Order: sequence, then structure tokens, then C-alpha cells
Amino acid sequence: MASVDQEGGDAAGGGSSSNNSSSGARAAADGNRAGIGGMIHPGKYGIERVAYWLMRLTGLGLLAYFIGHIYETSSILQGKMGWDDFLAITQTTEGHILLAIVIGMCVFHTVNGIRVMLGHGGVGVGRAARPDYPYVPASQNYRHKIGIYTAIVLAAIAMMYGLAVMFGV
Amino acid sequence: MASAILRESTIMKIHYGTALAAVALVAVHVLMRLTSGGFAASLEYETVLANYRFLPYALMLEIILVLLSIHGFNGLRVILLELRQGPRYEKAVSYGCVAAMFALIAYGSRTIIMTNMGMV
Repeated sequence: MASVDQEGGDAAGGGSSSNNSSSGARAAADGNRAGIGGMIHPGKYGIERVAYWLMRLTGLGLLAYFIGHIYETSSILQGKMGWDDFLAITQTTEGHILLAIVIGMCVFHTVNGIRVMLGHGGVGVGRAARPDYPYVPASQNYRHKIGIYTAIVLAAIAMMYGLAVMFGV
Repeated sequence: MASAILRESTIMKIHYGTALAAVALVAVHVLMRLTSGGFAASLEYETVLANYRFLPYALMLEIILVLLSIHGFNGLRVILLELRQGPRYEKAVSYGCVAAMFALIAYGSRTIIMTNMGMV
């Protein structure tokens, strides 16, 4: 992971920008021994780093689902038999749970993506100010933290609703 | 490199634009599944075939396919470029993602066009 220090500057994208230079010096001093585990540690970098990782993981998950969905729907070209055979594979308990996870990923990615877009547009990131000790970045404020938690809660609610619809509860 | 043709700032604007447009259209696509007599009924062969043969809906599916392919593969490109840098690597990732994007659009369009034109 070559970009640990670079990610520190992406506050709106979920990276940690608190004392960027000191964390960079620290990382260089310990030879980045903590690796990916150290990078994603939420206790060290906060909820913004969790959001950063979730955004990328959900993006990759949704891309994989999208490719699978395109392949799955192409089975309609094989007629009713082909469609029903493929549908039978997805209309199972495991298939419904997988789809519920996809719904959750989709909602989180959307809501957090809107937060990131707003942040990149300068919305809710605070005013520029001289960095003073303890170097708390203005961009990592309660507004964006609320945005991240809202994305997680909405994703959970959407998953519950999706499961209720698919299992006919 | 994609950035040799388009500036990264322009690519990010396209990334955000495709995301916002896709959110609206995917919402319509999902609502169609929930309002077509229930989730299970909306997935029946005859219902899906009727959806594909309804031209406005088929056009919407095609637009969703293009929007999500652009957004998805550009997102993958961004993630891969964050992991590693270098002229050859960046060029390979950018061209690879563009090629994969076109391949997926072509494969998905084939399904939409053939079904819409009654070739099933």
C-alpha cells in the first residue's frame, strides 16, 4: 500500500488528515510495519477511515454483482427454460441473503457517495483555518460523521426491508 | 493513459454525474420489481420479456448499463491506481478498464437489443 500518507489528505473521501506530516513521519519511522491492518484500524484513524474502506469494498462488491447481473439476465436469450433454470439458482435462501447484502452495499455506497460529493464541493467541511495543536482538521467534523453513521443505518434498514420483501414477511 | 485524453478532474465530474443519474434510474428499475405484482411475480419470464419489449423501459435499461459501466470501471481504475503507481501500470489499468467497460456494455446491449427486437 503505497498511498497511506496520501489518503490522509482526503478528508472528504473518508481518509484521515489529522496531523498529516507527523503521521507520515511516524509511518516512515516504523517502516509501515502495521501494514493494511494498521491502515484500516478504526481506533487509530476514526470512522472516516472505516467509511473510506467501506466505500471501496462496497464499490467492488457492487461491480461484481453488476457483472453477474448482466450475465444472469442474458439467460433470457435461452428462452423460458433457460430463464427459469437460472432464476431457480438465485431464488434460494442464500440468493436472498446475497441480494440483501447487495441492497445494503448499494444504499451505503449511494448515501456515503453523496456525502463525499458534497465534501468535495466544499459543503460541510468547515472554514479554512491555521492548523494549531492538537491539529484537529475542520473537515472531519460532526456533520460528516453524522453522514457516515446515517449511511450505515440506512443500509441496515434497507437490508431489513429487502429481506422482508424477498421472504414475503 | 486516460488522463492523457481527459483531465482527472473531468473524469471525476463524469464519475459523479454518472452516479447521480444512475441512482435515479436504478430507483425506477427497482420500483418496477416491487410494483409489478410483487417481487417474485416481477421476475417471471413473461413479465421480464414484456419489460424488455417495452421500448422506453429497454432504453432505460441501456442507459443504466452505460452509466453503471462507466461509473463502475472508473471506480475500479481509481482503486487500482491508489494501490500502485507507475507509467506502465497506470496505462495498463486505464486501458484495461476501458476495454472491460466496452465489453460489458456490448454484452449487456446484445441481451437488450435481441430481446427487444423479438429474437427470443
